[in-house]
Amino acid sequence: MRSLAAGLCLFAMAQPALSQDAAKAPRKDLVLKGDAVCTRCHGADEEYPVLSIGKTKHGTVADGRTPTCTSCHGASETHINRPAGTNERPKPTVVFGKRNGVPAETQSQACLTCHQGDPKRIHWKSSMHASQDVACTSCHKIHTGQDAVRDKMTQPQVCFTCHQDKRAQVNKPSRHPVLEGKVSCSDCHNTHGNNPKQMVKASVVETCYTCHLEKRGPFVHNHQPVTEDCSICHNPHGSTINALLKSRPPFLCQDCHGTSGHRNQAAGLPTGRVASGSSTLNGTVGRACLNCHTNIHGSNSTENNATVGRFRR
Amino acid sequence: MRKQINTSFQMTALAAALALCYGPALADDTDAELTALTKPSSNVSVGLGGWSNDRNRSGMYDGMREAGGYLLIDADILSRDDATGTWLGLKARNLGLENFELKGEWLKQGDIGASIEYNRIISDSPYTINTGLQGLNTTSQRVVNIVPGQGSSGELGTQRDRLQAQFLKHFGNELKFEASFRNEEKNGTRLYGRGGAAEFAVEPIDSVIRLLETTLSYNKDKLQLSGGYYGTSYSTENKLVTTVGTATFRLSQPLDNMSHELFMNGGYNFTPTTRGTFKVSYSLAKQDERLPTADVPGLASPLAPVNLDGKLATTLAEIGITAKPLPKLSVLGNLRYRDFDDKTPVRQYVFGATPMFNTPFSYRNVIGKLEGTYRLDDGYSLLGGVEHNGQDRTTPTAAGVIRVPFVTKLDTTSYRLQVRKSMSETVNGTLAYVNEQRSGKNYFRSGEAEENLIHPLHIADRKRDKVRAMIDWSATEKLNLQFAAESSTDKYGNGPNGNPLGIQKGTGSFFSADANYQVQTDWELNGWVSLDESKADETTYCGGTLPAPVSCDEGTGGTNRKYNSLKETGTSFGVGIKGKVSSRLKIGGNVEQFRSINKYNQTFTAGVSLPTGLAPTPDITNNMLKFKIFTEYAMQKNTDLRFDLIHEKYNTNDWTWNMLTPAGTSTWAYGSVTDGTTVNASPKQQSTFLGVRFKYKF
Repeated sequence: MRSLAAGLCLFAMAQPALSQDAAKAPRKDLVLKGDAVCTRCHGADEEYPVLSIGKTKHGTVADGRTPTCTSCHGASETHINRPAGTNERPKPTVVFGKRNGVPAETQSQACLTCHQGDPKRIHWKSSMHASQDVACTSCHKIHTGQDAVRDKMTQPQVCFTCHQDKRAQVNKPSRHPVLEGKVSCSDCHNTHGNNPKQMVKASVVETCYTCHLEKRGPFVHNHQPVTEDCSICHNPHGSTINALLKSRPPFLCQDCHGTSGHRNQAAGLPTGRVASGSSTLNGTVGRACLNCHTNIHGSNSTENNATVGRFRR
Repeated sequence: MRKQINTSFQMTALAAALALCYGPALADDTDAELTALTKPSSNVSVGLGGWSNDRNRSGMYDGMREAGGYLLIDADILSRDDATGTWLGLKARNLGLENFELKGEWLKQGDIGASIEYNRIISDSPYTINTGLQGLNTTSQRVVNIVPGQGSSGELGTQRDRLQAQFLKHFGNELKFEASFRNEEKNGTRLYGRGGAAEFAVEPIDSVIRLLETTLSYNKDKLQLSGGYYGTSYSTENKLVTTVGTATFRLSQPLDNMSHELFMNGGYNFTPTTRGTFKVSYSLAKQDERLPTADVPGLASPLAPVNLDGKLATTLAEIGITAKPLPKLSVLGNLRYRDFDDKTPVRQYVFGATPMFNTPFSYRNVIGKLEGTYRLDDGYSLLGGVEHNGQDRTTPTAAGVIRVPFVTKLDTTSYRLQVRKSMSETVNGTLAYVNEQRSGKNYFRSGEAEENLIHPLHIADRKRDKVRAMIDWSATEKLNLQFAAESSTDKYGNGPNGNPLGIQKGTGSFFSADANYQVQTDWELNGWVSLDESKADETTYCGGTLPAPVSCDEGTGGTNRKYNSLKETGTSFGVGIKGKVSSRLKIGGNVEQFRSINKYNQTFTAGVSLPTGLAPTPDITNNMLKFKIFTEYAMQKNTDLRFDLIHEKYNTNDWTWNMLTPAGTSTWAYGSVTDGTTVNASPKQQSTFLGVRFKYKF
């Protein structure tokens, strides 16, 4: 028994010896260059797991541009070496998140040091998000292998955090395939830029043309609102009306048309089958006005008939 | 004694051996744990799932529109050579479904990289058609009269096959070249019309979109520059759709077009707090294909041009500055000039009693913006801004092409005032007020007296007031609440010419509440609710001559009116839970409902009513309920088994394809003695999905 105790003591004594040996040797960086001073406390057990940065481009040390902890979080000297006489360890120089007292501009500057030159981020400072104190880390998570906002399937949920009205709209019957991950918010919007409506391209029409290029024309007979802005008639986030229309024909069309002739027709459902030549009775059901005015985005017909200018050919 | 010594030695030796053996083993475990936390991980999942019923509406895009079994295969494989920083990635999604995606990527970080991606996007129409139409998927279609319901049934839809390749190369730390090319083939069919008569036709689609973008970026110290080329092209096999029925109508199609754009962006940090930016670009788009109707004997006038010679030139120039003139004051200024110039020559295309010309439209916008944010104490800030958009709109000069009133100048000025609280540990929020005023000048009347009574939606004088509030409240350490509310009112004026018709007023309101509760470390509850409402009041002309009774028909003259009051209300909510039952078992579930009601209220001048043969349009209610449960069991450290149960319930009373007979609602059929095509929208859809996946992680 005494021998066992001695043996166990020896074992136990060996641990501090091993530890002391470890303590004497400098701590190794775990992920980033110079992170040893941070990872002595911040490891896997953190409430916010910091080591996962190693899974990302930010944790690829072979790339000479890869930052260190202090590149983003600041020198943080008083956090690393708590000043004598203080009970609570001061926070790092830059702490990310909306509840840490660090201005969004300061948080974003850490990222802009490297990313301001990205073509899509050159205009960040004059973007709507920047002026609304949205910081980079409001949407992006750095210490994780899966940044939700950069995956088409999970990106909309991040945007819905602030843009709650779009959450219901993308679930309406007529919509883009956002829920299926085929169209994401960033396919149409460059949130880092300052184009009108934060569009990816310089205007709404140019953005829509990246998928709907058949609408550009020019056509022989152009429909004026089509050439100006698709969102005059369409709500791209979702609608209860076919073709993502904001309002149903004939009501939509009567916002611009509607005096003489059948343009002023009342909206109503037919009470029976209707002759195909009747405009009054075919003006609401089915495709409504577009039952006849089918080339509503523009016509290339040169048929020698005045009807071509009304998008019926 | 000897025995005791031997025993002692053995025990001591055993203890020393333990120290030697388990010390390194402990270190190995730590290394493995560190690797799992810091090295890129991969996973492959294979599974099977099935839907119990067809899902015409909710299955439009996910490749699972029909009831039945589906193979579920996904993979996210990522590796990195730490010594060189070289990544290799392969991502596959929905491999067993029609809408699959596949992406391969190779990147030597900081040096060079390339990726190639294939993505199929399907859009299955939610409708089932029953028709006698012949040549459904072709450019030659023939209307054949059928008894409704006794034709051939089928479904329309489109498929996009998108191939995208990207390349990047760094030249040192300052220069980077990027190129992206996308080729997208689109095939399929969608709902169409015959143009000359309200009869069924199908638009056949067989087109290709190509986008090419190359960018060279320079980034050094205070200066960032980025310039390049953006080219697009659209080409189609279908130039003209001929439909034959009681008469023959030929429907023109969009023709091949292409564009080339040169652009440059830049920014310069004059000081750490002062930055200037600029943008310039010029693009030229052309559509100069031979017009197909020129080749149909006797269709076009021999005097009509055979080619549009279409040209669209767009010029953009923008400069901006952000600065901090005072420690607590940030300012932003921006000036933007965009000129969209349709340079297509104006020529006559229709000759005879009603001559017609082509209609180019051009716009020039100059937008100036000035905004300032002043930081107050305790995280409060005050923001004030003004933006002015001055638009010049060129008027087509040829007679008869303007069919609605037009303005040549449109000015929109908006003012924003906002107070914000941020950086607090408990409550952050914003309250904003926006006032926007739009007015047009130089009303250009159309050739029709009655048409000039309208002030069109997008150019009418308008005064908009909008209030928006948002609060983010950490009520406790575990509970976070978020509230958002918005209200806007648009009042439309009659313009300088006193146009009484058109949209009169629009209102919108929105409210939402979100809650997130961290029950324990491994358990989370969330819930949300949102309410929205939008209204539009229109006054439009109504034909027919009083005294009563008179129906609002296609007459001319008179002063009868119809008053449309349109309203949509939405009520949606979601509740969810997820957590860990044990170290191996995770579960979760959520319920979401999206409900909307559309009201179409139409009234007339006293004594006027709906024409015979029409019934008032009822309200439309759409309701979608989704219920999801999942369980994920860790069979081993690197393998999971996941079960998913999803139930969807969709119902609608959308009357778009219905008629209201005295006997009740029934499916409307095109024509009365011609056609007979019906379009059927399943008003009730309910389906359940059960799926199992095996996931391997490495």
